[in-house]
Amino acid sequence: MKQFRPGKVIQTVKGTPLTIVKYLTEGGQGYIYDIEHEGKHRILKWYKPEKVNKPDKFYQNLNDNARRGSPSDSFLWPITATERTDGSFGYVMELRQDGYHEFTEFLTDCKRIHFNTFKANVEACIRIVSAFQILHHHGYCYQDMNDGNFFINPSSGDVLICDNDNVAPNNKEAFIIGTPRYMAPELVVPAILGPDEEGNERKTKPSTSTDYWSLSVVLFMILCMGHPLEGERWLVPLLTPQNERYLYGSGATFVYDPSDGSNRPNPKVHANVIAFWKPLPPYMKEAFHRAFSKDAIRNPGKRLREIDWLKVLVRFQAEIRRCHNCGGEVFMINAKDTPCDECGKLQRVERKLRFRDYAVTAFKGVRVYRCMLESCNAENALTRVGTIVANPSRPGLYFLNNTDMTLEGRTAKGTVKQIPPNSVVPIKPGITVSAYSGSFTIE
Amino acid sequence: MPLNEPIAPARKILPIIYVIDTSGSMAYDRIESVNQAMYQTVDVMKDIAHREPNAEIKIGILTFASGAEWRTKDATGKPSLIYMEDFYWNDLEAGGLTDIGDALNELHDKMSRYSFFSDEVGYKMPVIIFLSDGEPTDDWEGALESIRDNNKWFRYSTKICMAVGEDANEDILARIAGRPDGRPNSEAVIKITDTDTLKKLIRVVSATASKIGSVSRTNNDVQESVLTEVKGKMSDELGVTIADQTSDYTDKPEMAVSATSFSDGSDQGWDDDWDD
Ligand SMILES: [Zn+2]
Repeated sequence: MKQFRPGKVIQTVKGTPLTIVKYLTEGGQGYIYDIEHEGKHRILKWYKPEKVNKPDKFYQNLNDNARRGSPSDSFLWPITATERTDGSFGYVMELRQDGYHEFTEFLTDCKRIHFNTFKANVEACIRIVSAFQILHHHGYCYQDMNDGNFFINPSSGDVLICDNDNVAPNNKEAFIIGTPRYMAPELVVPAILGPDEEGNERKTKPSTSTDYWSLSVVLFMILCMGHPLEGERWLVPLLTPQNERYLYGSGATFVYDPSDGSNRPNPKVHANVIAFWKPLPPYMKEAFHRAFSKDAIRNPGKRLREIDWLKVLVRFQAEIRRCHNCGGEVFMINAKDTPCDECGKLQRVERKLRFRDYAVTAFKGVRVYRCMLESCNAENALTRVGTIVANPSRPGLYFLNNTDMTLEGRTAKGTVKQIPPNSVVPIKPGITVSAYSGSFTIE
Repeated sequence: MPLNEPIAPARKILPIIYVIDTSGSMAYDRIESVNQAMYQTVDVMKDIAHREPNAEIKIGILTFASGAEWRTKDATGKPSLIYMEDFYWNDLEAGGLTDIGDALNELHDKMSRYSFFSDEVGYKMPVIIFLSDGEPTDDWEGALESIRDNNKWFRYSTKICMAVGEDANEDILARIAGRPDGRPNSEAVIKITDTDTLKKLIRVVSATASKIGSVSRTNNDVQESVLTEVKGKMSDELGVTIADQTSDYTDKPEMAVSATSFSDGSDQGWDDDWDD
């Protein structure tokens, strides 16, 4: 088909016409244009008609999504669909702000585009999990998570999720089966789930449990800069579709599967994964072991959910501190004295926050989330309880109450003090801070 | 931080080999169109290669007239594939016979673990773009049988043939473009009579094949996918004929979950034996 010329006007369902400014690029499903709409620069995605499966239903779903509105600011959500015209249709979305890069660029152009800190890297993981939690909580399924779907700010770790046009109510409509390498194994080879009750091969389609698989793949790729199933077995001389069905489907094996060492990363080819995996805290490794276990591959119900990831990710983030000598990042795993990898200077643990299940080192900037204190559901996991702060005019560290409730502090001697919103408690051993139905103690 | 600067994750190499007829009948406007098209194509493909997370593209250029000759060479002057980022186009001149058989023998020789495909990281299924405007002048048939029966790289390649002008032998091209089981594939032969359209076609086929060839596939549908997409993009052009793709390929989820489109993966095919 011919590209639209600048100046062409297309009517939208919302009733506000858009004007083509210029053609930008081409994706798998459609063409991307810079447009003017409602007085603003926005983006039009225009579908290649042959790439839209079930166009009537797809168009209806697109309109439904636009009408319901974005579930959170993290999504570049369809603002409105266009009218059906010129043999196809499209939808309008906001232009993303500067400073964000497609995750694909982190993979292909990492000399130029990489996370400024590992803390930002973990932050991006937390944001992605959180965005998908919100999406799933609204009853949607994303269907096609891949490296081209999200934009990340390498300094802050902030995330914008695009390509929300395939998003559909869970278990209702499947418009796409997903992107190979990110697709759940049962979407690649349905037979791995075994036959159904009547002995027939199962029909598989995208759902929240296939989203959980893709989410785990994405998190591994962000943290380890490599693919969780691409080890020795990936090193065949010629990767045919048959190989790929085995690699990503029937024979899917995590590169660090503790029970099966046949697909380990190759030191010459997968140096990234080897280098990035090694320093991960044991609880992160354990989470990946579970997420990519043979059990989770064959039983979609056993995959890690958002709450599982949030628990380990916020803990990991709380353990990353800056070296007081050189400014490099140090992983203070399990709140132990740890030497800086860059300058060798030992980072001593002076104070710790002891939570129900673990302790983290107390240093400036550590955030305390609700899921660190108690069991809670995914919606509440990232409710910020407080932050460890320093006051330039007074020595020492303080815990700042970030909630809008008055928390309770109890000293070692049993004195109880109220901690109103926005006020602080000194980080002194023996103090226990209670919030919601949990607490932590300063050691 | 316990980590140094990240390096790009390893990617498979996607070889794209152009086999170009430079016989006498290609002289003047045809070869000129190829030259002009390739200048533009190289820019487009460099851009694609730069942004592609699934594969690194390497290029090979093989020409045939009276004999066949590799135009892509390494620093020592040996025939070689060249990384897209290092590749640049040198104008071709036309003259001589149409030794398709020599071209196929050259492919057979170099498409090997011991020659072009020696990188440990491994390869995506190669793409071969074959362009000819005439009748072969040598034993093409013996050469085709030999490469088809003995060279897995060739057999698994995605082959797109362009039949330029009225004198091109489409039947032979359909056999070169044959499916892995050896059946001729006339659907993979694009007929083209307009030299301006040829320029666009070379660009579109190259760009489409590099994108589709790079991404991960779990269906045996690369050739059909490329041709379907090329057909869509060339639909407004004159002087080009692209067949409808009649294979059962489709992107639709229903297909992807049907019992027939996937094997159970038990026939995994992890043999290392690519040069038998
Ligand atoms: Zn240091």
